[in-house]
Amino acid sequence: MNNNRREFFSRIADGLHGTALMSLLGSDMYAAAPPVFDLKAKAPHFAPKAKSVIHLFMNGGPSQVDLFDPKPTLKRLAGTAPSRELSFAISNGKDAGVLFPSPFEFKNRGKSGIEISSALPHLAECADDIAVIRSMYGEHANHEPALFLMHTGRTIASRPAIGAWVAYGLGTENQNLPAYVVLDDPKGLPINGISNWQSAWLPPIYQGTRFRTEGAPVLNLESRPEIPTQLVEAERSLLRKLDDMHRVQRPYQPELDARISSYELAARMQLEASSALDVNQETEATREAYGLNDPVTASYGKRCLMARRLIERGVRFVQLYIESQIWDTHGNLSTDLPAACAKTDKPVAALVKDLKQRGLLDSTLVVWGGEFGRLPISQGAMKTAGRDHGPNGFTVWMAGGGLKRGVVHGATDDIGFKAAENKVSVHDFHATILHLLGMNHRELFLNRNGLQERLTDQYPARVVSEIIA
Amino acid sequence: MRILLATLVSAVALSAADPTFVNDVQPILQAKCVACHGSTPQGKLDLRTQESLLKGGNAGPVVTPGSVEKSLLMTKVVTKQMPPGNVKLSDAEIKTLRVWIEQTLPAQAAASAPAVKEHEVNAILQARCVRCHGGLEQRAGLDLRTMASRLKGGKSGPALVPGKPEESLLYKRMANGTMPPDKMAKDLAVELPTDPEMDKVKAWIAAGAPGPEPLRPPTEAVVKDTDRNFWSFQPPVRPAVPAVKNAALIRNPIDAFLLRKLEEKGLKYSPRSEKLALMRRVYLDLTGMIPSNAEIDAYLKDTSANAYEKLVDRLLASRHYGERWGQHWLDLAGYSDSEGFGQDDGVRPFAWRYRDYVIRSLNADKPYTQFITEQIAGDEMSNSWKQTKVADQAEIDRLAATGFLRTTPDPTNSNERGLINERMNILADEVEVLTSSVMGITVGCARCHNHKYDPIPQRDYYRLSAILQAAYNPYEWKSPNQREIDLATEGERKDVETHNTPLEADMAKLQTQMNKLADEFRVKFSAEAEKPVEEFAKTEPAKITVTQLEDKFPDFKSKYRAIQTEQQATKNKLKRKPHVRVLTDNPETSVAYLLRRGDPVDYGEVVDAGVPTVLANAAIKPYEIVPPFPGATGRRLALAKWLTQDNHPLTARVAVNQLWLRHFGRGIVPTVSNFGHSGQAPDNQPLLDWLATEFVAKGWSLKTMHRLMVTSEAYRQTSQVSEALLAADPENAMVSRMPLRRMDAETLYDSLLTATSRLDAESFGSATEITVTPDKEVIVKPGKKGFRRSIYVLHRRQTPVSLLDAFDQPTMTPNCTERRQSNVATQALHMMNGSMTWDLSQYMAGRVMDDAGSDRAKQVSEVYLRSFSRRPSADEIKLGTEAIETFRKQWPDRLATDNDAAPRADRANWMALANYCHAILNSAEFSFID
Repeated sequence: MNNNRREFFSRIADGLHGTALMSLLGSDMYAAAPPVFDLKAKAPHFAPKAKSVIHLFMNGGPSQVDLFDPKPTLKRLAGTAPSRELSFAISNGKDAGVLFPSPFEFKNRGKSGIEISSALPHLAECADDIAVIRSMYGEHANHEPALFLMHTGRTIASRPAIGAWVAYGLGTENQNLPAYVVLDDPKGLPINGISNWQSAWLPPIYQGTRFRTEGAPVLNLESRPEIPTQLVEAERSLLRKLDDMHRVQRPYQPELDARISSYELAARMQLEASSALDVNQETEATREAYGLNDPVTASYGKRCLMARRLIERGVRFVQLYIESQIWDTHGNLSTDLPAACAKTDKPVAALVKDLKQRGLLDSTLVVWGGEFGRLPISQGAMKTAGRDHGPNGFTVWMAGGGLKRGVVHGATDDIGFKAAENKVSVHDFHATILHLLGMNHRELFLNRNGLQERLTDQYPARVVSEIIA
Repeated sequence: MRILLATLVSAVALSAADPTFVNDVQPILQAKCVACHGSTPQGKLDLRTQESLLKGGNAGPVVTPGSVEKSLLMTKVVTKQMPPGNVKLSDAEIKTLRVWIEQTLPAQAAASAPAVKEHEVNAILQARCVRCHGGLEQRAGLDLRTMASRLKGGKSGPALVPGKPEESLLYKRMANGTMPPDKMAKDLAVELPTDPEMDKVKAWIAAGAPGPEPLRPPTEAVVKDTDRNFWSFQPPVRPAVPAVKNAALIRNPIDAFLLRKLEEKGLKYSPRSEKLALMRRVYLDLTGMIPSNAEIDAYLKDTSANAYEKLVDRLLASRHYGERWGQHWLDLAGYSDSEGFGQDDGVRPFAWRYRDYVIRSLNADKPYTQFITEQIAGDEMSNSWKQTKVADQAEIDRLAATGFLRTTPDPTNSNERGLINERMNILADEVEVLTSSVMGITVGCARCHNHKYDPIPQRDYYRLSAILQAAYNPYEWKSPNQREIDLATEGERKDVETHNTPLEADMAKLQTQMNKLADEFRVKFSAEAEKPVEEFAKTEPAKITVTQLEDKFPDFKSKYRAIQTEQQATKNKLKRKPHVRVLTDNPETSVAYLLRRGDPVDYGEVVDAGVPTVLANAAIKPYEIVPPFPGATGRRLALAKWLTQDNHPLTARVAVNQLWLRHFGRGIVPTVSNFGHSGQAPDNQPLLDWLATEFVAKGWSLKTMHRLMVTSEAYRQTSQVSEALLAADPENAMVSRMPLRRMDAETLYDSLLTATSRLDAESFGSATEITVTPDKEVIVKPGKKGFRRSIYVLHRRQTPVSLLDAFDQPTMTPNCTERRQSNVATQALHMMNGSMTWDLSQYMAGRVMDDAGSDRAKQVSEVYLRSFSRRPSADEIKLGTEAIETFRKQWPDRLATDNDAAPRADRANWMALANYCHAILNSAEFSFID
């Protein structure tokens, strides 16, 4: 692989000029076919099941034993003391309580009979469309490292996020929008902030772009309010003339060309981004279905609906976050968990149903999950008991693009503490997402300092083929 | 089923009564299980032989020797899930399986396991116990680091009784779960020993606790002589300067080496740049800022033959040189003002001392050898800093220099983030910073396995890592807060004193007031004391507490609290005593291990501190440790000495290559941080080697090398490129032209400030604060004198300044050896619509009017000179004046709606010029360097 040749093109973000130049330089440029750093749509390694991803990130760590992973044994052992290992797993030993069964009822749902608790009544209607992995396990019981792990494959802030890898591997189908869009909660950034969607040493064009869901979608998208509109136009027209004069005297400078066209793209983005996020263009029925008319669901529902609109427009990877850490139920599990569900359950189910009804679910991968699960013991006084972080066994689910529908994979032990059967590591999880997008996790790499860097690094990772149709 | 701690192995010896597989277990399985788990096994689980049973099936192993709880086979038969159907295992059969798993299998394993060595046990004790029983602390008088101290034990008696695990407290307390104590372990970020670890300790004691074995050199030669012959592992040999046809173009030997290559291909240099284009280039290159109008005038007036050389000397002598090239160095070091983790991304209060050290050192043209020695081992160069709290700037600089190895994200101020995994990651990141910046080799992959492409065995990685492990002892860790020392210059101490003394006096005054007030009310209290519990107040009024007074007298409470609040407010104004952020050795070092697969608790062989074997070369002196003074191991000092030898194969080459990259846009070795097999070969090795040897010959002077490079004819070429030239030298590997480049983030930021006269040129000191707007844009607010240069702006990993971030300022994870540049729409949005460029444009328009008056042509000319370092053509003047007039016509209506008393015509002229400046600052010509 010729690094410099690629480096030569790497600074050309819009790709348009790269092509012209490549033909100019002769067909030799195609011979080594290095991955060019641009956002043009690229062919995956094999026929993909899914074209795009909506990642519903559930900050805080949703409790598997209260939502997806029923444990009758826990009921039997209610109130008994935990093992030393289990009580050591709690962050503050003083808080370690007793084995704590779920206060929520589980039922078999749909034809598949997947068990989902009463806390998620809307998702329960989608049971036959989702594939549940009950045997995920992570490496760290703290939010920051666990978030890094889920996003980048390592517990420290030094590697590109999965969305950046996907944008790098596949580019995007709409050059007027970013390839990788993040819809964070207007109430605040998640833990680790913008590092969650960083590109690290991948070129910055692959990092997640935050689209704000209120006001202008992108920082500085709108021109300065104090400058009259006609003046903005007049200034632009002057700028175009200046740049044209400058460019005419400097032929064959792709970076200069790219920079000038980036100003044109900025103008196109102003139009397209605002329209893509305009949920007022949706029917009242759709808005109602996503919960936009209910203050409890309106915020998350809006982001779910925006996610669908972005996917429709060819955006490759959309990631949604939820305010601070609503799933981080250290106390008052029996009220706080239903509150978190209330904000998200209806919108999430609406998204799955809407994608399905529009025929988009076949080509879209929906991923739901947090950075870890929770412990099967109580935390704090019984009256206000919650659960502490449990990275050793937790649940995620996926739906759509190439997955089996209505299946459960893997199991935790009898009390839901640790993944026990068909364990799925975070690297397995990442490899599976890449696989569904038509990429082999070993073949998606960046040559850096003589190393082939991957999302799955050098970890053994296995595609969870059991859930793939 | 309860999850219980695994039952510990209670017997290591096989007893005749224990069931065996063939006699006892196999018949049961044969009868009840093999029908399904036999020749065509369900779930790929074959239960016909002990071997196949232990192998397990789809669900993984079904038996864990010693633990019934962890054996799926037992779970399934006990809960009657297996076998399916009516025929289950009898209680007696289950008992046989249980005993076989709990006793026979562990005994068999113990009998066949190799003897446990001391170093394996030491590793476990280091990780689990030494935090409290080691060098930092010896709780209960116990130190577990050496054989002697283990045998001696502590308050409770000997910790180790060879041959008797059950009488050895170090094992017994570990096994019964009392050590390490859960709560304390959590607070100290110690993790509990695992079952296999405890088994190892037990087996070692049972075998008589053999002592440590001497470190043996590896028997197999992983690094061969042929590996050592690779070009970059051999010292550079100074090549003869080649003869060329076009000798008139040679200004210094750089040109000879370049032209030789070009002429071989029938090529030559591109024409020379125009005078002012070259001036702008070299200004931006050496100082990171565009020239002022006065500087341009002076240069144009200088018609002497060496006007350019004089200019170069001026720029190298400018303090802005250190600020520009300091940023390059901070990239290599991975400098940031924050720890990089958590919601608050804690600020590193004294990181700026390292930044200032770098700037000062570069400006002083400190020899590169001294520069890197101070950064790797400044603390070991002298121990005078240990004896004092006041030092001169040079002393402080030498210590602050070690900030080079303190740059990587470090979350360990939090106990929860201080686990051994994190500490090892920090150590690994520092190794990466060190090797990628000054050594030009990639060793990261050898953390987990032998390097695939380069002759760096895993052992060498851990030997290198052991050099830093003396300071970053993973087992007796110091968090960032514990790595600051109380040291400052006399001036800094005085500053703080001068600032704090009146405040402290105020606080004392307020305290007196509070005491007086309390005493007044105490009198009242004793006078009114009635209840028996208040009896003491009559005899001992001094014992009446403030709380008691507050409870009784609401008016006291409000008065007292008011003064207290004022006192607290005064206290908040106190300046913190200045400290220095350093890297120093732990007084006691730990044993370093090769960690299998990079797993921090999978210990392999013991390794000593050392440098990569492949670089051990007959031509250079070996790595040799001489402890400089007690409390320092000398490991890092030895590394610095080894690296800074004149004929070191890498040091000089890597340094000149970094300079070359930044001057010419591409390294002679294009993979600047990888000079190994997997990197790219040099475009022109004779040139590289000549530069490396020249660097050494000139006393490792960086400025000499800059001067050589920027005064070469090569550097003076135009960046214009033709189709033919592009085809002949597509990547410009032969330097057949200068590259047309976009300014990097900092150069753009700083140039915006110079062009608009908004630069506050103050150097050094704590960083300029950043502001996060409600929109989450991260901006810098100007101070009274304007904006300071970007290098002085607080660099936080989680909240980078939005404008700098958009233009590819790197997030340091951990460092950045080469910038990548993008040209994307978000940059345009920031420049067109961001508040900073618009505010600067207005300011600039005001200054242009100050200098050029109201004559539009003069204004345009002034704007061109400020922004593009050239005068406009007649066409450009026409375009400019017409544009300003167009803008002016639009403003009056707008201005009519505000309440400003200023004359609208004047304001419209000003705003129109601001629009013009705004367009110019947004133009490609401004941010590109010809």
